[in-house]
Amino acid sequence: FIDPSLQQPAFESQHQPQQVPYYQPGVDPSHVQPPNPTFYAQPTVGGPQMPNPNQLASGFSQMSLGQKFNFQTVNLLAQLPDPRDLFRPPPDIQLPPNSSVIQSPYINADPSYKRSTMNAIPTTSSLLNKSKIPLGLVMAPYRTVKEGDDPVPVVTDHVIARCRRCRSYINPYVQFVEDGNRWKCCMCGVVNDVPQLFDWDQENNTRADRWSRAELNHAVVEFTAPQEYMARPPQPPVYVFLIDVSHDAIQSGMTSIAAQTILESLDRIPNENSRTKVAVIGFDDSLYFFSLSPGLVDPPMMVVSDLEDVFLPAPNDILVNLTEARESFENLLRRFSKLFSDSARLGGAVGPALEAGFKLIQSLGGKLILLSSSFPTFGAGALKNREDSKILGTTKVKRLKNLSLSYQESSLLQPASPFYKTFAISCARAHVSVDMFLFSSAYTDIASLSCLPRYTAGQTYFYPAFNTVRSEDARKFAHEFSTILASPIAFETIMRIRATKGVRLSMFHGNFFISSSDLLTLPTLPVDHSYVIEVQIEETITSPFVLFQTALVITTCFGERRIRVVNLALPTTSNMSDMYASVDEIALASYFATKSVEKTLSHKLEDARETITNRLVEILSTYKNTMTSSAGGASSQLAICDNMKMFPLLCLGLLKHVAIRQSGQIPSDLRAYGQALLTTLPPQQLIPYIHPNLYSLHNMPPEAGTVGDYGVILPAPLPPTSEKLESYGLFLIEDSQNIFLWVGREAVPQLIQDVFNLPSSAQLHSGKATLPVLDNPFSIRVNAIIGKIREMRRGPYWQHVYIVKEDGEPALRLWALSSLIMDRIEQLPNYQQYLSQLREKVNGSS
Amino acid sequence: MNFEDVEERDGLRLSWNVWPSSRVEATRTVVPIATLYTPLKIRESLPPVLYEPVTCKPPCRAVLNPYCQIDVRGKLWICPFCLTRNAFPPHYKDISSSNLPAELLPKYTTIEYTLSRPAPTPPIFLFVVDTCMDEEDLKALRSALVVSLSLLPPYALIGLITYGTMAQVHELGYAECPKSYVFRGGKEYSPKQIQEMLGLTAQNRAAPKPGQPLPPQAYGPARFLLPISQCEFQLTSILEQLPRDPWPVAADKRPLRCTGVALSVAVGLLEAAFSGTGARIMVFSGGPATEGPGAVVGPELREPIRSHHDIEKDSVKHYKRALKFYEGLAKRASNNGHAVDLFTGCLDQIGLLEMKSLPNSTNGVMVLADSFATAIFKQSFLRIFDKDEEGNLQMGFNATFDVQTTKELKVSGLIGHAISANKKSACVGETEIGIGQTSAWKICSLTPRTSQAVYFEVVTPAGQPLQPGSRGLIQFVTHYQHASGQMRLRVTTIARNFAEAGSMTIGQSFDQEAAAVLIARIAVFKAEIDDSPDVLRWLDRMLIRLCQKFADYRKEDPNSFRLSDNFSIYPQFMFHLRRSQFLQVFNNSPDETAFYRHILNEEDVNNSLIMIQPTLMSYTFDQTAPQPVLLDSVSIKPDVILLLDTFFHILIFHGETIAQWRNAGYQDQEGYENFKELLEKPVEDAQDLFADRFPIPRYVVCDQGGSQARFLLSKLNPSTTHISTSMYGTMPAGAGQAIFTDDVSLQVFMEHLKRLAVGAQTN
Ligand SMILES: [Zn+2]
Ligand SMILES: [Zn+2]
Repeated sequence: FIDPSLQQPAFESQHQPQQVPYYQPGVDPSHVQPPNPTFYAQPTVGGPQMPNPNQLASGFSQMSLGQKFNFQTVNLLAQLPDPRDLFRPPPDIQLPPNSSVIQSPYINADPSYKRSTMNAIPTTSSLLNKSKIPLGLVMAPYRTVKEGDDPVPVVTDHVIARCRRCRSYINPYVQFVEDGNRWKCCMCGVVNDVPQLFDWDQENNTRADRWSRAELNHAVVEFTAPQEYMARPPQPPVYVFLIDVSHDAIQSGMTSIAAQTILESLDRIPNENSRTKVAVIGFDDSLYFFSLSPGLVDPPMMVVSDLEDVFLPAPNDILVNLTEARESFENLLRRFSKLFSDSARLGGAVGPALEAGFKLIQSLGGKLILLSSSFPTFGAGALKNREDSKILGTTKVKRLKNLSLSYQESSLLQPASPFYKTFAISCARAHVSVDMFLFSSAYTDIASLSCLPRYTAGQTYFYPAFNTVRSEDARKFAHEFSTILASPIAFETIMRIRATKGVRLSMFHGNFFISSSDLLTLPTLPVDHSYVIEVQIEETITSPFVLFQTALVITTCFGERRIRVVNLALPTTSNMSDMYASVDEIALASYFATKSVEKTLSHKLEDARETITNRLVEILSTYKNTMTSSAGGASSQLAICDNMKMFPLLCLGLLKHVAIRQSGQIPSDLRAYGQALLTTLPPQQLIPYIHPNLYSLHNMPPEAGTVGDYGVILPAPLPPTSEKLESYGLFLIEDSQNIFLWVGREAVPQLIQDVFNLPSSAQLHSGKATLPVLDNPFSIRVNAIIGKIREMRRGPYWQHVYIVKEDGEPALRLWALSSLIMDRIEQLPNYQQYLSQLREKVNGSS
Repeated sequence: MNFEDVEERDGLRLSWNVWPSSRVEATRTVVPIATLYTPLKIRESLPPVLYEPVTCKPPCRAVLNPYCQIDVRGKLWICPFCLTRNAFPPHYKDISSSNLPAELLPKYTTIEYTLSRPAPTPPIFLFVVDTCMDEEDLKALRSALVVSLSLLPPYALIGLITYGTMAQVHELGYAECPKSYVFRGGKEYSPKQIQEMLGLTAQNRAAPKPGQPLPPQAYGPARFLLPISQCEFQLTSILEQLPRDPWPVAADKRPLRCTGVALSVAVGLLEAAFSGTGARIMVFSGGPATEGPGAVVGPELREPIRSHHDIEKDSVKHYKRALKFYEGLAKRASNNGHAVDLFTGCLDQIGLLEMKSLPNSTNGVMVLADSFATAIFKQSFLRIFDKDEEGNLQMGFNATFDVQTTKELKVSGLIGHAISANKKSACVGETEIGIGQTSAWKICSLTPRTSQAVYFEVVTPAGQPLQPGSRGLIQFVTHYQHASGQMRLRVTTIARNFAEAGSMTIGQSFDQEAAAVLIARIAVFKAEIDDSPDVLRWLDRMLIRLCQKFADYRKEDPNSFRLSDNFSIYPQFMFHLRRSQFLQVFNNSPDETAFYRHILNEEDVNNSLIMIQPTLMSYTFDQTAPQPVLLDSVSIKPDVILLLDTFFHILIFHGETIAQWRNAGYQDQEGYENFKELLEKPVEDAQDLFADRFPIPRYVVCDQGGSQARFLLSKLNPSTTHISTSMYGTMPAGAGQAIFTDDVSLQVFMEHLKRLAVGAQTN
């Protein structure tokens, strides 16, 4: 059964041909790049395109030919999964000829912006239901544009053609009729007038070529918005830092590093037009405000201890223009932690700090950035410590003394106080978003706190047991915090998704506030957040393709009102095999991740787990019954189409994920944080988060870790199982959040010397580490690989490196091993066992 | 010894210096036996002794004094109050009739002891500063405050609270940056909340690591109240940069001013940390409280601040609540031994009426100025920090004032700025005058001027008159914290003879000046509670009864009515008292009334008399020295300059002719030197009056016929009004000025008095 190419070479045999680095230079090893050759051609990187065997089957050339989807059934039981398959592009989108007014490689959105669980849309809901494949969109419409990425073209002439009936924006899929004087909407079919200046170059006052207009050539496009898109002038970027200054926060070094990071990021915070406003509020059991009128050496501190009834101690100079008050602000940040260095106060005024920040910016909108080491114990949003290790992993109920409250494990994942939801609503209405950075070494109740970022389009960041005594902790936080500060977020955003008649967007998942049935409010629009939208077929679709159009009305951080439109056109089909063959297993796994988190919140953890397996079994059964010859009878095989062959393993990864897995060892904070990530990470980060990558370093091919034509070459990933671990080896496991360097029990001293600069593994300590960069090729290569892993994905996350010794600290070892999702973990089966269970169920159900 | 000599020695004057020997007889003398006592009266020739007093056994605890019988051989002394025999302490073993300790010498009827145990804490000054005022006013206030820092002893503890829309407590002990704790202006905070919010308790604190004690500044009151020597630089810089309240004020609004919250925070801060040790809360208010508890008027400008009429009609929205709020604070402050001073700088009222209980019950000062940029404020404020020859502030703190009497005399009560210490000793009488039911009081702050009126009654068993020649004793014991940090005890013991019924000596011992002041205090005390007509009727009744008892007359013959010298001007005092601002409130604002009454209850006999019956001096070319003239409209003449002293106002009035000459500039011309001198003399005399006055009087210079002259006219006896022709017939032209008033003149008043006293028909 085993693919010979995946057999492990020994350390010595580095030169087997299979070891040619699989990683393609110039291609992000990600799930975001389409099989569209034009997207490979990254001119800034330059160089010839290396052929990729996995990508040859699909390509732009096929699009116009209207070929059917490749359809091939595989027997899951007959082969080991190859992690490289996770890097395949999604099945090709084969639109009918002449769907678009212009033939261009850019007329369909890159999957990194928007992808569908199916790249062919069934024409009826019965067909959709029959396939058991849920239809959904996974999108990150405001993903970062890194150097070398195609920029999003901007239409600046204020000529915005929209359908008068369905309000969709003109796009490459409309038809021009009546000599090009009118256009027919591809969503609702209505015919609209072409705007007067549509073919006019206003800048040069000459006739322009309609066919060069960006909105007809690009699926992702931005319009600068005229006055009617503004309820008020574009707001300035506003950042309010709510910094814990309690004893714990000071002692852990958090306060100091937070202030220092803000200070060092001042030139990176978006402030193009010198409009950005900032404020700092400290909190412990009181609130500390600072008057930052320009030019102060010692900005005065105002203490508010009235937490019942939070108020602002001064009418102005607390929130200040960053440019004007730069000197005062810097002076404050420079001595910020010193102001509280003697504090013995315990913290906890989290809710009041948030309320104060809100009061400060409610008329403007903007971002509240809370940095807390404390459990919220005072004022609004005060919480009780409800966790009890005895109820973890059980269905036991814990009752709190003197309170009519009781908890069981699942309810620990639900918010304990309505404050975080109701406050979120106030925030959303006032265009205020909340980011939370949580540092406590004890229970923090992330489940409650994370509600606030969730409903205000913010994010939760968690640094358990943070302490800057470990430079790694400081480095990680500083990196992530400064990246977030520098990120070009947008403000006062509304998002609406429209689709072709007959298609309805039924449910929306992600961090935002739903202000009406299909209008999403995002007080700030963070970069690289992912959203999942469930799609239903409401009536038979007659058009040959379906267009999903996402429109974001945003205020950019440089003060412009813009509309970003992201179009994804998918062909329709009435053919089950087309449907299966078009399944994007990466999108499907993202969809499953979101839905299982939803289930844990609405039901219970065990319900979520059951649902994953049950829905997988349904798909496998339907597939078997409709697509294979063994329909109806028992089969020794477990069949699925080739493009879904990684999906069962992704489901198993989800079942074993810290947010969902059955275990008595997982504190609810870790679960809640995991859930926050599962519902917001774009696939590029989400897939390794579910299915960690395992690399063997000690025997990697010579090119691995060196710089190729397109960057550092990674070794080929191995199936995530400890079977691949060799006792004399050095392995790297990474899940997009952490990196484990697994040091085998019998690792040779030379290896330890080369990598860690230590005589033997006896001197090597387990735990968080900063790997030395040593003057030997292997060390340089290992460091290069770690560096590549850290920077190759979009997003602010900086992965910790943990040194894990096979014979070292058991807890850490178990944690690292829990990433190897093909293995048995606690009561959860290994991959083969899981497949057997699936097969039994599939056979049983037919 | 005459009254003034006694006053000079003991700081004390009595209404009667010989006492009736029975309760019945005492009732007939009408004016109660009472003393006006100035406990900290400056007596330059008698410095304090440096040892502890010898006292009688508890519960008496009377202090050894010149009236004690001593047995030098037995080393014993007999307490005159309880008749207990006490042994002298061992270190008095060398006592003999030629070697007596000071306290037994006759001239030491008043003696001050320096106690060995010093005060636990230096004196505390907590500034509570309003910032809702215009820049000019605030600037003047800031500079006055900065100057005051240099006048305070460097060891004194100082704190700062500023307020406007909100109240801010400045953490002066915080070195890193200016830091303040902010309280919402619109909220009523409980004492416990205030203490918690200021971090005065150690709640919610991380346990110190072993071997690492908490830094002492981390919590507790020491962060807010520091020795001036430690924080002068920081405090000066805060004061110098103190901005106006930054909250915007609409054109039709008053600024939000949370005086109540600021005060409750001030009281709470001191209460938590320094209860029972000397402290002053010095409030500088530029306007009425409009926000939160203690608001006296709403922020809408169209809502005027209350007048006496509004209060009488009971139609004031905030009045009762505010009054109650400040009374609550006053009670706490006075129980803690802390004084509250109110300095106002505002043309309009600021709510002194509602807040008066604070200075009234703590003996804080009240200074009413139109602005902080005025001399009235600046000089009055700085005068508080006057020092004695040793360089110590002339200020006592946290005093207890004890009165002990021999058994024939009981204490009825005290009228002055004090609260009851609830000492129900044997010498507490049944009759209650002022703050009664106690023989001891707390006085939170003392100055050398502070004068307390204490009232007594004679208690003898019915039908058992006293032995002839017997005498009664009163001992005043004032225990206080001296500004130097010492604890001091001042003891004044007086003895007066009892006289048999019908003895002339009682009448001869009447001190009409002291009596007038003592009766004035009762009248004002009553006026605070009762309607003013009732008080006036009571005053009349008292006067008539006194005259009936002590005047010479034939029944029903008013013309036969004669008063002896020591009663002769008493009716005049009563006349002026009746029409004074103390009892006739409607020409003044409620704030002014509160202010005038407060000052009356502070001052000694002489100053009080000036308030009751202002003095008027006349300057003309004819006389070399100014002449005292009648406080009467007849004194107004075109060719004189008048100098009026009402204690609160000092007014120079130029007669018509004088004003014309002055306007013509004669004084600058050669040959008119005497006119120049005439103009200058009253100005110099006025300066002399300012010298030891507190608060600094309002200074008015006006001309006959000018609008400012109304200050003078309102004080004059209306012997020539627009309605009355003179009782002496038609006035000669130019012999006085008609005053537009409905008041009766002194002459009419006297006529009525005579008729009523002699029992004649009145018409
Ligand atoms: Zn349409
Ligand atoms: Zn005695």
